[in-house]
Amino acid sequence: MTNNPIGRPAALLALLAITTPPAVLANSPTIRLFPTTVIEDLRQTSNVARDMETGLQEVIGRLDQQQQLYQESKCDGADNDSGCQRLARQIGATYLDMLTVMEERLPDMEHTVNNTRLSLEKSLRSELGKKMTPWTLQETLLGTSASTSPANAAPILRGRSGMRLSERFNQYYQLVATSSSRGDQSLAVLAADIYLDMEETSLLIQRTRQEIARATLMEQLNQSFGIITPEMMEVVGGVKSILFGDDEGFASVAAPPPGSIEQAYRSPLEQ
Amino acid sequence: MSSSNKQYSLATLAVIGATLLIASCASNQPSCSSPQTRNLSAATKIVQSNLMSGCQAHFDSYYDDLLTIAEGDPKPENKREFSDFLVWSTDQGLLSKRQAEDYYNRYFNVKFMSMKGDYNNCSHTCPNKQKVLFNMQRELSDKERGLLRVSLDNDAYYRADKLFQEVELVLEATCMACSAGR
Repeated sequence: MTNNPIGRPAALLALLAITTPPAVLANSPTIRLFPTTVIEDLRQTSNVARDMETGLQEVIGRLDQQQQLYQESKCDGADNDSGCQRLARQIGATYLDMLTVMEERLPDMEHTVNNTRLSLEKSLRSELGKKMTPWTLQETLLGTSASTSPANAAPILRGRSGMRLSERFNQYYQLVATSSSRGDQSLAVLAADIYLDMEETSLLIQRTRQEIARATLMEQLNQSFGIITPEMMEVVGGVKSILFGDDEGFASVAAPPPGSIEQAYRSPLEQ
Repeated sequence: MSSSNKQYSLATLAVIGATLLIASCASNQPSCSSPQTRNLSAATKIVQSNLMSGCQAHFDSYYDDLLTIAEGDPKPENKREFSDFLVWSTDQGLLSKRQAEDYYNRYFNVKFMSMKGDYNNCSHTCPNKQKVLFNMQRELSDKERGLLRVSLDNDAYYRADKLFQEVELVLEATCMACSAGR
């Protein structure tokens, strides 16, 4: 979380302005899939996700320690032991803390994700849905110059990628913020990818918010008995994997096209 | 010779004449058989000759025969051979220019002819998305044959394959956005 550059977007944009060749800036994309509102929404979403992670990291760290202590004390199955009951209550209380942090942060998250989703939805409908025919869409994706060399190919993120939530949005933000140096073809795919991911994230947040109320009630009941339920551990595991990603799953970046489509022969019939 | 004999002889002659006429017609009818050679240029010449001799109705199967023959000796130059053949077919009035483009691009171009259309995506492509994608999938098989197995143009085929995946993704998002705006 510390190496997250979204805290200094102005510096990043200034750097881009210096490093982007003037010729590229002059040939700006003809389709406007990422107006400034979308870029701002993405930056905002990344910030909110980072705040939520910061809040949860401490609680989840505490939970991990308590769980470890519980296991090392051989408390599994020793429900009648008073020491184990006390430990279980502590774990339950930390679990409730986690749910509370999520409950506090998720509305902001939902709001920014929905803003981004709606802005992208509007752009996609207008630019790709209404202004383009299937043929022009295909030409946009293919690029007019057949210059899809690996050096120019944009790394395309495909949905949930096993990385931190804030990092994922940060990558989106960076890809979009540097869009002036990319062709329309990668922008269209990027916009579609982010939109579908936002749609899925939005649904997940909705479902999570609904579940939090239920899980909180259940845990408040469990507190009086000092029980650790398997569901608790499952929820904590789920939250960890969504927020912090799993260590093995790196970003699935699509491979660049295998080569140039430029060919020696071009038929007069070719379209 | 009596008049009845004369009439009999005339009738016999007429029958023989008619038989000969039919036989001569039958011998001129082209066989329209597939070219037997494995050489693409020679096969193309045979097909051209057959097409000029009344076998136009067999154009599709001849095109398929030529593709099969070319698969036996795949090389980049085959693309030109097919293009020249299709241009010749247009010049001879066997195909319209549009038909020739369809025949060529379906097999030898990265772009998908199944993605042709004059109306916008929200109104035309999205309501038929599944059909469009199904047709693209079939066309991709033809591109595999034309680009990969006939012309050895692997890069172009893999680009077409990637284009298909991109279209699938972009259409999914675009059509979702279109339907949300209704």
